[in-house]
Amino acid sequence: MEAVEATISLVLRGGVILSASIICLGLVLLFAEGALANGARIDAAIAYPRDATALLAGLCALDPVSIIVFGLLVLIATPVVRVAVSILAFACSRDWLYALITALVLVLLVAGMYLGVAVR
Amino acid sequence: MPLFLLQFVQLLCVSVLAGIFGSLVGLGGGMIVVPIMTLFMGIDFHVAAGASIIAVIATSSGSAAAYVRDRLANIRVGMFLEIFTVLGAICGALLVGKIPTRTLYIIFALVLLYSLFPTASKIAAELRVSARRGRGAESGVPDRVSVALSLDGEYFDPAQGRNVAYRLRRVPLGAAVMYVAGLASGLLGIGSGAFKVLAMDGVMGMPIKSSTATSNFMIGVTAAASAGIYFSRGDIDPLVTAPVALGVLAGSFAGARILPRIAGIEIRIGFLVVIAVIGMQMLLRGFGVGR
Repeated sequence: MEAVEATISLVLRGGVILSASIICLGLVLLFAEGALANGARIDAAIAYPRDATALLAGLCALDPVSIIVFGLLVLIATPVVRVAVSILAFACSRDWLYALITALVLVLLVAGMYLGVAVR
Repeated sequence: MPLFLLQFVQLLCVSVLAGIFGSLVGLGGGMIVVPIMTLFMGIDFHVAAGASIIAVIATSSGSAAAYVRDRLANIRVGMFLEIFTVLGAICGALLVGKIPTRTLYIIFALVLLYSLFPTASKIAAELRVSARRGRGAESGVPDRVSVALSLDGEYFDPAQGRNVAYRLRRVPLGAAVMYVAGLASGLLGIGSGAFKVLAMDGVMGMPIKSSTATSNFMIGVTAAASAGIYFSRGDIDPLVTAPVALGVLAGSFAGARILPRIAGIEIRIGFLVVIAVIGMQMLLRGFGVGR
């Protein structure tokens, strides 16, 4: 049980630190470019890469917005990874009931994401 | 100062406060961030809502790292109840458009406002008890369901300088309330931390500090599902969301250090204010005032 808690805590901490570091890097590059110092609003709608190919291209080009988007995606993925890792952690401590419960949550979560995309 | 930088700093500061507050009372801080963005900064509601969903994930992951380690968050309770919130959220998302949104806002607002009464009477009871002396261990009679699922828990409370052991009761009813919390979140696209805390603290008899910590542990999972949808629709503005994410993370780290040290009754009073404010916000929206 101790191990399960330690693992979950580690995943959450790692996820947020990684995501915050990536976002900070993107912001530093953004400010270094200085393109936004000329009176633009922060919510002046900008296009951002929404699929893997565009995001990868942006990252390779060290595009600040793409880097920030990647950091935000790491943040969004953190709770999902936490659920997935919890299944393994419960299974390793032979807590089969909770490994099953957690697996059910993950299935529902993934099903929900598919349904959500299909509905909208 | 350039406008961009000024707005960046404003968002960062508001988000730090939202992160501290959210991590203490068990919700995402959207109730603070969204009105300030839309009313005072002139940011579009959709952009604000997208940033708010990221704020929920940041509060949850940032604070739960500490809460899980400190045993303040009960991971079994969280995982078990997540089945019902995620199920509720999916059903809610599928029902969108079937029931008028304003009717829904009024119904959920009334539920929250009604829950002010039991919460207030608990505070009154705690004041009476603590006037005499500190409370003993909250033990009570073992509950069959809670024992079968090994949901009962224990944590060290630095504020009282002792271990607090607790047993849960009325688990099926708590699970039902969690399903409703998920429904509300799926139907209205709101965070449901307040309903989650009510289910654990009000229905299942979990200590308030464990309830808010476990709610924080849970809300990130529910929000992550919707965040993916927001992202693919292009409703997450990276430049607005970046300072919100960083600010909320910093705030939630601070909040997670504060929660163990303050008394449960102070959290409960804070929570009372929260449900009053959210209840009023939702009621106003139900009657078509504001967004």
